[in-house]
Amino acid sequence: MESEQRRPPTGPALVRFEAEDLGHGRDRQGRLRHLVLPGLALTLYEGERVALLGQSGSGKSTLLAELRQRLGTRAAWCPQHHGLVPQLAVYHNVFMGRLPEHSALAALWNLVRPLARPWREVGELCTLLGLEGLARRPVGRLSGGQRQRVAIARALYQGRAIFLGDEPVASVDPHQALRLLGLIDARHSTSVVALHQRELALSHFDRVWGLREGRLVIDAPTRALTLADLDALYPDADAPADASSEPAAPTMPNPEALPCARGRP
Amino acid sequence: MSEARTHPPRHGRHWWRGDTPGLKLARHTLGLVALAVVLLPFADLAIHTREPWTELGRMALGMAWPAWGSLESPLSAIGLTVAVAIWGTLAGVVLGFPLALLFARSRLVRAVCAFLRAIHELFWALLFLQVFGLSAVTALAALAIPYAGIFAKVYAEILEQTPRAPRDALPPGTGRLVRFVYAELPLAWAQLAAYTRYRFECALRASVLLGFVGLPTLGFHLETAFREGRYHEAGALLWLFYLLIASLPGWSHRRLIPVLLVGGAWLLGPWPSVDGALVWRFVSEDIWPRELLAGDWAGLVEWLSRIPDLGPAIGNTLLLGLLGTVGALLVAMALWPLACRHFGNRGTRLTGHGLLIALRSTPELMLAFLFLLLLGPSLLPAWLALALHNGALIAFLVARHADALTPGMPGLSATGRLAYELLPRLYPGMLALLYYRAEVILRETAILGMLGVATLGFYIEEGFDYLMFDVAFFLLLISATLNIAVDALSRRLRPRDGAVMDDPCMR
Repeated sequence: MESEQRRPPTGPALVRFEAEDLGHGRDRQGRLRHLVLPGLALTLYEGERVALLGQSGSGKSTLLAELRQRLGTRAAWCPQHHGLVPQLAVYHNVFMGRLPEHSALAALWNLVRPLARPWREVGELCTLLGLEGLARRPVGRLSGGQRQRVAIARALYQGRAIFLGDEPVASVDPHQALRLLGLIDARHSTSVVALHQRELALSHFDRVWGLREGRLVIDAPTRALTLADLDALYPDADAPADASSEPAAPTMPNPEALPCARGRP
Repeated sequence: MSEARTHPPRHGRHWWRGDTPGLKLARHTLGLVALAVVLLPFADLAIHTREPWTELGRMALGMAWPAWGSLESPLSAIGLTVAVAIWGTLAGVVLGFPLALLFARSRLVRAVCAFLRAIHELFWALLFLQVFGLSAVTALAALAIPYAGIFAKVYAEILEQTPRAPRDALPPGTGRLVRFVYAELPLAWAQLAAYTRYRFECALRASVLLGFVGLPTLGFHLETAFREGRYHEAGALLWLFYLLIASLPGWSHRRLIPVLLVGGAWLLGPWPSVDGALVWRFVSEDIWPRELLAGDWAGLVEWLSRIPDLGPAIGNTLLLGLLGTVGALLVAMALWPLACRHFGNRGTRLTGHGLLIALRSTPELMLAFLFLLLLGPSLLPAWLALALHNGALIAFLVARHADALTPGMPGLSATGRLAYELLPRLYPGMLALLYYRAEVILRETAILGMLGVATLGFYIEEGFDYLMFDVAFFLLLISATLNIAVDALSRRLRPRDGAVMDDPCMR
């Protein structure tokens, strides 16, 4: 209800795919080497918060990379596995979000002695994200959750209108995840966030894009969706506990089909 | 691929055919060993023992009772050795780092670097000796020039292997320099520093070796003492050298480097008075065959035919390079577990560590000299020296990497740990090191020629001795060409998958 009030249902379209092939690596003729998302059709509207769901390998990262490329400097970017420099301090890693705005000389001097204004701004962000007092610590010495927050701080520091995140809340607990998503919302009008927590997708976003094996199988507002709809994206989730849905699975007989009836009622 | 899918792999039949990394590496290694075994009959491995035991006994006595008192000015020799090493390394870094940045992009830079490092420090020294005499310039240039080529290549490889993720995460529009300093250099820094440190150790050894061509470093006194049979003095010098290398971690601390540099600058010398005309004559006339400069092609062919034993010299050089490489692999495989924390007890580890340090610190030339006394002049002493020295070096690096690994399954037996936990993780890196080393080994075969082993180096030194600079330079070029060819080959053969030894940034 609240979100309905706060956000207009659709702003102008920011990015539109009309049956396009997405993938990575191009050969000399400009054809895709690895086709990941064939014939993708979807639109990102301004003011919309989109949860991007799907199993690992379903094409989430490819879609985000393409969005990032098309949105260019309008989008802040929080990559998968953080993409931080472990040897540099938290401050420097966050500062990297705005590297292009400084001259080369200033950026180099900043490694020797932090520039006053960024130091203050980054300090505020760190406090906001629960990283106070850690600004001078090398990222390599932080815990997984702290690194995650540094990566988010770097994206927030970019100060863009759109937020693109590839599993930005994968390594924090559900409570923190909510708080971090709230921070991201407060500072960006539009966001596309890949994640694995289905409940979070329904409770916190306006729209869900669901990918399964390179196809967009769900593109609907969250109020029209239930958890059961989202389960369809994860064929393993409702399978028996062994969950062997790898491509090799067909050669492995289902335990239910085995002639031995031991252990079954 | 599709075949493998329709026929599930069966145990027992064609097990060697799979394309898993392990099988590939195993086939690769066995192929290399088989090649060495097939070519073994062509090598002159005869043992010409001529009662070496009395001489060897005197040497052992010399080592056991070093005559510290008889050393003349050992401190100035040590000082000069260190000064040459540190300034040579620094000059190499200053020249090599910019080249490293261009390395991936410019074929010309790669070719120039390949040429610079294809010629051994000692041969550069012999070359500069003709121009700058027995001076600090000769010593520094002899180290700095090949090291620039080596640094360029290795730095470029280290930088290329830094994780891409931080670079990709940068906002669009970040400048090249800033991107390098923020998202590439910090990731590579530890490795760059470690490599530079290692290279400095090599420079110390090379600096000692420069004594063999007459520069007054530790090696000069060592060679004189050995040649004149003053083994007690030689023993003292050798111990001094080991002490110098063993205490390296103590005195090569980051903070001490400026002190060493400033102190070293005082000790460097003598500085030559360079005669420009003489240098120009050497570069433009002396090192080229007269027939070539005169454009007399028939004469040039005749000049070529006068060069003795070119074919056998090349054959011996390549064969010794191959045998040395395979030998180093076997030695490394046997030795690395001795010095790593996963095996044995404190005692065995200390012994293994000591053995590796002794083998890798003793210059190959020294080892070869010892074996030469023991076995007589053939390829055998040179082979043993190359295999032991380089094998110990690889083993040392592998053991250090192994120490950094934590087995995922605690409580395995030693064999299980070796075969399941450690070797699969270490072997690709080890083979990559070996292939990198193959080029170094080939370069070292050349200097073993200075002891009388009939490789190219033998004839190069002969050329310089008899002032036939044109012949010496021509043979140097051939030796460099061979090195470049072998380098290209080893680059192609080097395993790439998983060859980078574990990186904390990816975890």
